[in-house]
Amino acid sequence: MAETEGAAVAAGAWPRRRRRLTAGRFFRASVPYALILPVLVAIGAVLGYPLYNLVRLSLQHYGLFELIQHKGQAVGLRNFSSILHDGIFWHTLARTVVFTAVNVCLTMAIGTAVALLLVRVSTWARLLLTSGLVLVWATPAVVAVQVWIWMTNFQNGIVNYTLTRLHIGNYSEHDWYATTFSQLGLATTLIVWGAVPFVAISVYAALAQVPRDLEEAAEIDGARPWRVFRDVTLPILRPVLLILTSLSIIWDFGVFTQPYLLIGQGHIHPGNYLMGIYLFEEGYIKTEFGRGAAISLLMLAMVALLSVVYVRKMVRLGDEE
Amino acid sequence: MSRRRRTGRAGWNTLAVGIFVVMVFPVFWMISTAFKSNDEIVSYTPTWFSLHPTIAHFRAAIHAPFFWPDVRNSLIIVGATVGISIALSFLAAVALAKYRFGGRKLFIVLVIGIQMLPQAGLIIPLYVVLARYHQVNALTGVIVTYMTFALPFCVWTLRGFIINIPRELEEAAMVDGNTRLGAFLKILLPLAAPGLVATSVFAFITSWNEYIFARVLLSDQGKQTLTVWLSYFLGSSRHTDWGALMAGSTLTAIPVLIFFLLIQRRIAFGLTAGAVKG
Amino acid sequence: MRHRVVAAAAVAVLLGLVAATASASPQRAQANKLTVWLQVDAQSGWPDIVAAANQQFQKDHPGYTVDVQYQNWTDHLQKFDATLAGGNSPDVIEMGNTEMTKYMAAGAFSPLDKSSFDNAPQWLSGLAKSGAYGGKTYGVPYYAGSRVATYRTDLFKKAGIKKLPATLAELTADAKKLAAKNKGKGFSPVYFGGEDWYVAMAFVYDFGGTIARTHSGKWVGALDSPQAVKGLTAYKNFFLASSRASKTNDSTNPNPYDVYAQGNAGVIIGPSWFSCCVGVKYKTATAQFVLPGHVKGQALPGFLGGSDLAVPVTSKSASLGADWIKDFTGTSAERALQAKGNIPNATNLLGSSINERAAARSWFVPTAKHWVDVENGNILKNMLGQILTGKLTVKQAAASASDNITSVLNGS
Repeated sequence: MAETEGAAVAAGAWPRRRRRLTAGRFFRASVPYALILPVLVAIGAVLGYPLYNLVRLSLQHYGLFELIQHKGQAVGLRNFSSILHDGIFWHTLARTVVFTAVNVCLTMAIGTAVALLLVRVSTWARLLLTSGLVLVWATPAVVAVQVWIWMTNFQNGIVNYTLTRLHIGNYSEHDWYATTFSQLGLATTLIVWGAVPFVAISVYAALAQVPRDLEEAAEIDGARPWRVFRDVTLPILRPVLLILTSLSIIWDFGVFTQPYLLIGQGHIHPGNYLMGIYLFEEGYIKTEFGRGAAISLLMLAMVALLSVVYVRKMVRLGDEE
Repeated sequence: MSRRRRTGRAGWNTLAVGIFVVMVFPVFWMISTAFKSNDEIVSYTPTWFSLHPTIAHFRAAIHAPFFWPDVRNSLIIVGATVGISIALSFLAAVALAKYRFGGRKLFIVLVIGIQMLPQAGLIIPLYVVLARYHQVNALTGVIVTYMTFALPFCVWTLRGFIINIPRELEEAAMVDGNTRLGAFLKILLPLAAPGLVATSVFAFITSWNEYIFARVLLSDQGKQTLTVWLSYFLGSSRHTDWGALMAGSTLTAIPVLIFFLLIQRRIAFGLTAGAVKG
Repeated sequence: MRHRVVAAAAVAVLLGLVAATASASPQRAQANKLTVWLQVDAQSGWPDIVAAANQQFQKDHPGYTVDVQYQNWTDHLQKFDATLAGGNSPDVIEMGNTEMTKYMAAGAFSPLDKSSFDNAPQWLSGLAKSGAYGGKTYGVPYYAGSRVATYRTDLFKKAGIKKLPATLAELTADAKKLAAKNKGKGFSPVYFGGEDWYVAMAFVYDFGGTIARTHSGKWVGALDSPQAVKGLTAYKNFFLASSRASKTNDSTNPNPYDVYAQGNAGVIIGPSWFSCCVGVKYKTATAQFVLPGHVKGQALPGFLGGSDLAVPVTSKSASLGADWIKDFTGTSAERALQAKGNIPNATNLLGSSINERAAARSWFVPTAKHWVDVENGNILKNMLGQILTGKLTVKQAAASASDNITSVLNGS
């Protein structure tokens, strides 16, 4: 086709910008659009108006009174400026960034290690460990929180009991919720515990696609395990690892249920806010819905910023194909 | 198997068991508590296993109001959400991974962007929209909500798995006379199976355990999901029945485990079990 | 594999259809249904009283059904907000009495005709105040509870305590006697969490202080006044002398009665229904007394926590909602609630149970629109934690909390 076009142009004919639209070409070109259409329709129909509403709310003063009247007062960018001038916002942001970094690193490192382990063990051990992982994964967050609270109970929790019995220190009647560091530390263990199964199983599924003979060939050539991992396994795992890391960043940045329920409404105060909790407290508990909407949009911007590096890598990965 | 290999393998196995014990301990504690009598539960010296196990808590949980209706609701909601989401997102993931088309980057931004939205911020706007179409206090409203949040994640994850599949295989299938799409479906589906399974398990679990939206959208106790049902053990200012709560939690976790056990074979267990020869 | 995917998709669509039919609600024909939101306490505590009210309502309004939906304290307000936005609120809602002011100020409720409710002129003043705003009545007090001391009669006898304490000083001395005779690990003579602000504020009010007062239309935090500081100091001394509970926790986790049932508490402070759950071992050796104030003959003021019933303004059957409330707070219903260990809503119904004697001297939170934000912001709890751990002196902690309260209560 290209030659005839080129010849025609060379012959001084009217330059054809568009290639001839045959029915076959039309169908072939529209295949990808048809494939993504259902998803677009589903998301658009449900989230379209709420998203528009969210943006509109962020530009209004919308408290309980306005909620009942179904009408807000337009205040322009006042919500945004009041939040950005609030010291609590910046402290919370810093705290959340650190929290996210710690959680993501731990989750990815432990999850990948467990996946690598899964490849190397006997079948019975693999089944055992995988079942254990799914069991952990299947535990609802609200339940896991209660179990954590129960285990770290001030007086009859198993953690205090065991630590004291093992002579690691005198932990009888140790209050794990006394300091912010301890509270967020507990939240981290809970979140990482709940997140590792998904990472482990996904990486394991990806490892299943790694031709084992490649690794064995490298090993036979005398390469040490770390080199094998870095040069053979890692490149194949990269897409999955990138996805999981970016997802972990997104989730851990906005995580709400676990820290909120674990620390408890009784211990939450601006000194231990995380962004998700900050949003809920400012927006819902204080019934300042306009402000809550503004915080949501700011959070969206922050997360986008934090994960842009990974996302770009992933998008480019697709282009390399 | 060489001697070195065997001891190496034994070492890994021991490590696996150790990790299993540590990870599963909280779940074990939950189940163990569910079988303990109330006295043992609040005792200052906790016992690992109950000396006089009782099923009273399980009985209390099953007889708690609306248990079976809520089980049914959870199954319906999650089943529909997972089924529809996986089907739709697989198609979209194929498009993203294997086709070049105008607006591709925009679609990617949309898919990622939605996941970055703090869900809590959307509760009221979403509620208002659903209320307008009488989808509040309805299972379909919840299904539609869950699907909307599951789709971007599923699309994104499946894309990652599909990208890995070598191009040569597709081209081989095309030579056989299939259309591009046909080649994809014939070749990609089996190869993407581990990814499909992992994604569907995740979608299942996330939907099964979701709480906030189910709580706000479903007010009829007969229409609620199991997660909401569980929260009733906690909300009273009077008494937290730990035994019944742990029993109820155990019951809530069982369907997920069953689901996984049913499809776990697809996660290349057979493949690697055979590949890693002894 | 392809067939399996298609099959799975078909199943999913089928499930979706099932869901649609399952919820294809008779909701459209809502005309003859009254929706009531009560808290789970009613579901587990007095379902029979609810049933009786429903029956009465249905007798008076034939053709109507009452749909009672039970809510949790933790998130019922967020759910309520969503229904206010969506326009499908219940017709009757139970609110905690500290939650009322904010919603009344926002216009969330329909005004009610006070005179149409049983015993309205004799409503307990503390309770009635929580349901009134701008001269109108929006909430009907439904029940209340106060705080009493539940104690081990056998331990008291063993420690040589012959009569019940009549002042705080005597109670502190008794606590020391109990500690001397019960040196076991984990035993707390009096068990209550350090950040239990209901107990702490009782001390403040006992010494004549208050949490906040109005001054020319604005709220001013008053915890830094000399009387309040005296009360907080007395609280600090009492806690350090008698309680081994956590200084940075309130009394919800672990539950005081669980601690008591394990034999690790001589006295616990809480609602009178705590006696239900003290365990088989100590059931017969348990009794209750009213907490004494620092002045002989005066009880420590009890917090009159309770619930009000209101009719949301978005309800389409406001008068029916009011009728249901009438049935549920009528004299016979209140008597039944009283029999379950609650304080009824009117003075003419008061008996002499321990609960009601404790309520004779009571205190309540400032009836400010933003009071809920003070509670949710944990200002009082943090203050108590700082005082008890010694991080700040009483004066410093009280001053900072007071400033905090002033700014929160006056927020827009």
